[in-house]
Amino acid sequence: MDSSTSEGVVESTSTVPPASAPAPAPAPAATPYKPSSADFANYYENFMPYKSIFLWLNHSQAPQEDFTKREFAFEYKSGAYQRYNSFSNVQEFKNTIVKAQPVRFEVGAVYPIEPKLRKSVSKNLMKPVMKEFVLDIDLTDYDDVRTCCSGTSICRKCWKFITLAIKIVDAALREDFGFEKLIWVFSGRRGVHCWVSDYRVRILDEPRRRAIVEYLDVLNVKSKGNKNGISLRKPYHPHVERSFEILRDEFVDIILREQDPWRLDDRYQDLAKCIPDYRLSSALLKHWKEDPGSSSASKWRDVDTFYQNMKVKSFDIQDWKREMIFKTMYPRLDVEVSRQMIHLLKSPFCIHPGTGNVCVPFDPSVKEFDPFTEAPSLSTLFNEDETNWENTSLKGSIELFNRYVDGLVKDEVKEKREREPVSEESW
Amino acid sequence: MFRKVKRRVDGRRNFDGDISKGFVDDLTRYPHRLSFYRMPPLEEITLEEFETWAIDRLKVLLEIESCQSRGKSFKEMSSIVLPILDKLLPLNPPSKESSSLYQERKKDHYSHFILRLAFCRSEELRSRFVKAETALFRIRYQLLSLQEQREFVDSIDLPWEEVSDEERDRFRDQLLRCSYGSIRSALMQTVEYQRTQHVTDEQISGYMDTVKFYRLPFEYVPELVSTRQTFLHKGYAYVGEFQRLSLIATEFSNFLVQQLQATMRALPTLDEDDRLVPVLNNLSKGYVSIDYNGYGGGEDSEGENSSGINAENISQFVSDMPLCMQRLMEGLQMNHHLRYGGRQELSLFLKGIGLNAEEALKFWQQQFTAAGPGSMTMEKFNKEYRYNFRHSYGLEGGHIRYKPWDCRTILSKPAPNKSEFHGCPYRDLRRGELSFQLQKLGLVDDTRLGEVLDLSEKGEYQTACTKVFELVNRDKIDSCLKQGLKVDESSIVHPNQYFDRSRYLDQHAEIERAGG
Ligand code: SF4
Ligand SMILES: [Zn+2]
Repeated sequence: MDSSTSEGVVESTSTVPPASAPAPAPAPAATPYKPSSADFANYYENFMPYKSIFLWLNHSQAPQEDFTKREFAFEYKSGAYQRYNSFSNVQEFKNTIVKAQPVRFEVGAVYPIEPKLRKSVSKNLMKPVMKEFVLDIDLTDYDDVRTCCSGTSICRKCWKFITLAIKIVDAALREDFGFEKLIWVFSGRRGVHCWVSDYRVRILDEPRRRAIVEYLDVLNVKSKGNKNGISLRKPYHPHVERSFEILRDEFVDIILREQDPWRLDDRYQDLAKCIPDYRLSSALLKHWKEDPGSSSASKWRDVDTFYQNMKVKSFDIQDWKREMIFKTMYPRLDVEVSRQMIHLLKSPFCIHPGTGNVCVPFDPSVKEFDPFTEAPSLSTLFNEDETNWENTSLKGSIELFNRYVDGLVKDEVKEKREREPVSEESW
Repeated sequence: MFRKVKRRVDGRRNFDGDISKGFVDDLTRYPHRLSFYRMPPLEEITLEEFETWAIDRLKVLLEIESCQSRGKSFKEMSSIVLPILDKLLPLNPPSKESSSLYQERKKDHYSHFILRLAFCRSEELRSRFVKAETALFRIRYQLLSLQEQREFVDSIDLPWEEVSDEERDRFRDQLLRCSYGSIRSALMQTVEYQRTQHVTDEQISGYMDTVKFYRLPFEYVPELVSTRQTFLHKGYAYVGEFQRLSLIATEFSNFLVQQLQATMRALPTLDEDDRLVPVLNNLSKGYVSIDYNGYGGGEDSEGENSSGINAENISQFVSDMPLCMQRLMEGLQMNHHLRYGGRQELSLFLKGIGLNAEEALKFWQQQFTAAGPGSMTMEKFNKEYRYNFRHSYGLEGGHIRYKPWDCRTILSKPAPNKSEFHGCPYRDLRRGELSFQLQKLGLVDDTRLGEVLDLSEKGEYQTACTKVFELVNRDKIDSCLKQGLKVDESSIVHPNQYFDRSRYLDQHAEIERAGG
């Protein structure tokens, strides 16, 4: 819900020059661009891959409940938000969107009856029965460690947090939970969504969705009371250990060199607050007050030096360092988005109304996603070709999505045959 | 992951079974102490049994709820609930003679099903019931011998497979990481540990080789998943033998959720037996009145003054009283009067703490006639009030012995208006006022205070009261526990129980009292 602001995906200049980091790769020229109504109309008419989205949500060629009883919500330019739309086939889906011209549409759960008919049945029938498992990762949740940008703007430096998050979450979903049907989608501005479509996860109830997201949520972002320490159980759980392996080599570059958060006056105090020993943290605070502008790397070393000199015994410094690595870089997840079945999430291939960027899907196992070169904006597309997507830079994304959906539908048909005979008696 | 278990849908005509077949004392109907309650009861029971069995179980469940609301750990909860369970709903080990075992198990079985009927009717009631029943199930599982646990687990049909040796070797590191904590605490129970006071990694690793692991779809163990206490691989959770309770408890609660929904759908047909309806309605209201007979003076409270409490020294005992009574005492002192509801509530309470009739009369007289606003002449007192107070002691009129009111009675009377002081302050005071009163009791920690206020707002008055008792008496309770004395930590259900508990602590805790 960030349509009120209009900054684009721009490389913002960091407020503090990086200590010794290599110069960041130059980003494409920032063009603050806001799509017009005509742009939306043309995109919905000629570019939006309705058929692919239909298949993705329907899991079969012929329309079935997975699609026809699925909720869609529209958000309009005026800010109005309209829930409980549903469609009986691709044609109706397309026609409605072309006609309604929302600035974006969102995908929700499958209900026992068509959501558009909900008024004709009692309320407690309108409980979701199926939905993809979704994850939402957004850079605004990293503002306490980001110094390069804040709020809605992003740059290559802070995008690294997202890249790491994708690596960690993707590995857990595939390796640990055994999910195979998952697709990542750029959210259009400063984050990504992940949609998991395995049958097994689509039928999960909320407590089990919660279990998955809590498993992933090592930082326990919701428990605010626990802000200063996370105290991970030792030995680390295999997922935590694997995540640590992914994060640890990046810490020096990303946190100490590039973001350098503790060079800032108001943030070195945060570092001090994270130190569980009061004596040590006061001594450090005192020391840093004298030289507040020293780099994060030097403050990081100070912690070590003071710890040794003061012979602190109350905590283990190696454990603490490991936890700081988690605290600064581990993925920050929106637990509620993943848990609630009624929650809706923007569809792939929508346009971000603030930036004009297409929310393209991508496959991190092939290549790390670069939002600055791989998420075309409407203006770029229309410069390439006014009406035919095959001549534009959207081609790659649509084809990638089609391949993914194709596999999904094929496997679904196969699995369905296997599960059907017993499905009535299963839980 | 698909089970073809045909589960009986309970509901219609559960209670008028076919007696001609009779299952007299037949333990084959209840092969295990613990039960998943899959089969509905079939025999006939009397309405009285129906009611008392259900109430007994309800008391147990309410105690569990109260422990949960007070944030007790599982261990603390067990030790609070066990004595109550022993009294109301015992399930003795198989060595006992079988006919009494049969009776126990039957009562357990039937009472569970009766409460299903009472608690199936709203989402909120259902989830409370499932939560409390699942906790009860866990408490009882821990009471089983290893042998019984194994037999019980085998009787449940769950899709677990034993992990092969090859897989164990392959995932040894991961399995060890996930079970390290549990194994460590298991080893800390051993005699070896008592001697050495530490557990080595070698011991843990050695122990792990003796543990069996099972794998099953992760959906079966959401609790273990969300807390990262199990190794996950390709959609399977690898669960150690020692984690099976978590697994079957989840299964138990899922099953119960389904069953309650089925019961709810079947419920309308129950109306045929309309004698049950009022009973069920009452049960689901949630408070039961628990007779509290332990109060001080007891039978001879109108005679000799054995408690040592009299009109003169009673003000020294105010701090032992629950907030409701403290408020009444305060109101009385301020106004030299109390309205009818307040007089009754307080005078019966005072009788309960051992103030005998003569001293009570003296006390009320002093209060009503002492100089100050609202006070009256001795004459007026004798004329208008004397009789009332003697009446409470059964010395006038029908010579009825009135019992001190329990919380439920207090809560069932009309709430006080502005100039009245009776009722339960956790229900009747606004947040700000209650917070002020609690601070006067010495509750200064903001978080704790907030917790009590929240409990009151949620309508859990007795739990709030119990929590206050614990907070106010923390040091004394700890001191008693340290001395190995028994401390009753069950929920407060009666103001006199609160008082007696407080006195008990005063007498047994070894705390240096600040002079003054
Ligand atoms: S809960 Fe019972 S004892 Fe406590 S204040 Fe209320 S009525 Fe009095
Ligand atoms: Zn940035």
